[in-house]
Amino acid sequence: MSYAVELVNISKSFGSVRAVSNVSLSIRKNEFFSLLGPSGCGKTTTLRIIAGLEEPDTGVVKLDGRDVTYVPTHKRNIGMVFQTLALFPHMDVYDNIAFGLRMRNYSEADIRRRVREMLDIVRLSGLEHRRIHQLSGGQRQRVALARALIVQPAVLLLDEPLGALDLKIRQHMMVELKRVQREVGTTFIYVTHDQTEAMVMSDRIAVMKDGVIQQVGEPYDIYMHPRNRFVATFIGDAINLVEGDYASPGVVKTSLGDINVPSINEYVGKKVVFAIRPEKILIGGEVSSDLDNVFVGRISLTIFRGAFIEYRVYVDNMEFVIFKPHVGVSYLLLKPGDMVKIGWRREDGILMPE
Amino acid sequence: MKWFDRFLKIYTYIILALMYLPIVVLIIFSFNESRSKVVFTGFTLENYYRLVNNFMVWDAFYNSIWIGVVVTIVSVLLAILMSYGVTRYSFRGKAIVDSIMLVPIIIPEIVEALTLLVFLVILGFSLSPYTIIIGHVAFDISFAYVVIKARMAGYDPQFEEAARTLGADEFKAFRKVTLPILAPGIAAAALIAFLESYDDFIKTFFTRPPGFLTLPVYIWNMASRRGFPLDLNALASFVVIISLVFAYVRRRVERGVLR
Repeated sequence: MSYAVELVNISKSFGSVRAVSNVSLSIRKNEFFSLLGPSGCGKTTTLRIIAGLEEPDTGVVKLDGRDVTYVPTHKRNIGMVFQTLALFPHMDVYDNIAFGLRMRNYSEADIRRRVREMLDIVRLSGLEHRRIHQLSGGQRQRVALARALIVQPAVLLLDEPLGALDLKIRQHMMVELKRVQREVGTTFIYVTHDQTEAMVMSDRIAVMKDGVIQQVGEPYDIYMHPRNRFVATFIGDAINLVEGDYASPGVVKTSLGDINVPSINEYVGKKVVFAIRPEKILIGGEVSSDLDNVFVGRISLTIFRGAFIEYRVYVDNMEFVIFKPHVGVSYLLLKPGDMVKIGWRREDGILMPE
Repeated sequence: MKWFDRFLKIYTYIILALMYLPIVVLIIFSFNESRSKVVFTGFTLENYYRLVNNFMVWDAFYNSIWIGVVVTIVSVLLAILMSYGVTRYSFRGKAIVDSIMLVPIIIPEIVEALTLLVFLVILGFSLSPYTIIIGHVAFDISFAYVVIKARMAGYDPQFEEAARTLGADEFKAFRKVTLPILAPGIAAAALIAFLESYDDFIKTFFTRPPGFLTLPVYIWNMASRRGFPLDLNALASFVVIISLVFAYVRRRVERGVLR
């Protein structure tokens, strides 16, 4: 099987800064793939290398199995949506979208038909003769998307295109992007620092830090089985981390006492980081005496977050973050200062190397 | 502080009057019947008839225009290339190149004209309309450069990159996207370059071949030899009006950029 995009040992430095370090990725056809990481992690540089806007110092870029490492951008058959969108201000919506087809010398009749189809897909019909500055942020987004998609690229590259939008429009555009991707069936590579965007839209995510890929996987997989401390804290709203020794199979010795964990032989005798997600922790009356792990703590804070309640509970000097959906009057039952039992099942814990 | 506001207002009017009253008087007296420059005796268009029938004026006007056009095209083309190089690439001595481009704006024109003449003589050039053009370009390119570079510095290279991802090679991306986006700035630069050339007297005077006239040179000749005839008023009015038209067009173009 040939991949839509393959990166083999790509490295790129700017001066003394190593922006991308030995990155290898295989992105499947028709996949919605996200490159996720904090700013400066090399995700945009990686995208620009795929586009041919940057040349890697070492490594190979393949599109559809063909080595394009030294093929100029305009011959790669890619589409790109830029962070600034870069819509041409001297053209109207129609001419912006038609640009790629004109560069490929399509007939005007053909162009008219295809632009109309594309306007339909991104739901902009009727706006073809608006100037760019007359459009709203969401509409500009759609024009940029249409302009990049109309040439039927082998892969569409998106560089944080939703960054400038309000939260509501952004949430709407996330679903829209996903819908368009399904509809046109193109491979999307999406760069973002926003883990929510990546989680909502992606089939798979690559988490990057300091130019190095930390983990590649499906959103569920990365959330549930982060491979290291960085991925665990970067993905998800919050996570509770405790350092300890994996003394014997299934037990981690920590400053809080022994924690019962899944049995993983490779960690035996090593220092590990134990992690538990906030929604996996049971609290108060939910804690039964036969639970694998039970601790007693003091509630320091309760925060009403709308869809759920956030509790902060101190066990010794470790503060746990706990999310609870509120059913009935549970919010009123637990108050700051109360002593409370918390606990979780053995299999909900996450183990990572120190 | 009310008195100060009033003072500022009056002060501004005085300055404006000093700047524009002479021109207004010049234009009014271009319609004067008698040869007096002090008393307005009656309205006439005779000065303008004389002007229109003077083939020397037409000759000078024609020279001013074609030299202005050639100078504008050459200056703007060179300025575009220079601005592109300075804004888009980094190279040794970039700051020096950038500063040198401003020198012609700063140094006195008479010095520039004189050194230019000496330079041309040393190189063995015989004076011709082309030496005038060289002199004008050497000066106008600075104005065109300043204006075009400012526009280019504010130009986002992602426009060009977007064009390239859509299948345009570098040349096509420049021609179809960069150039049209910069067009208003280039037009403004062209108008300034043309006006600078069209208005120029000192450098033209030093680098022209004998007998070659442009409008400013012809005005000078008339004023110095024949004791300021009244058709000179008419001619000067004509020159001023053309300049004003260009200045107005330039304003419109610039406002187009801001919108």
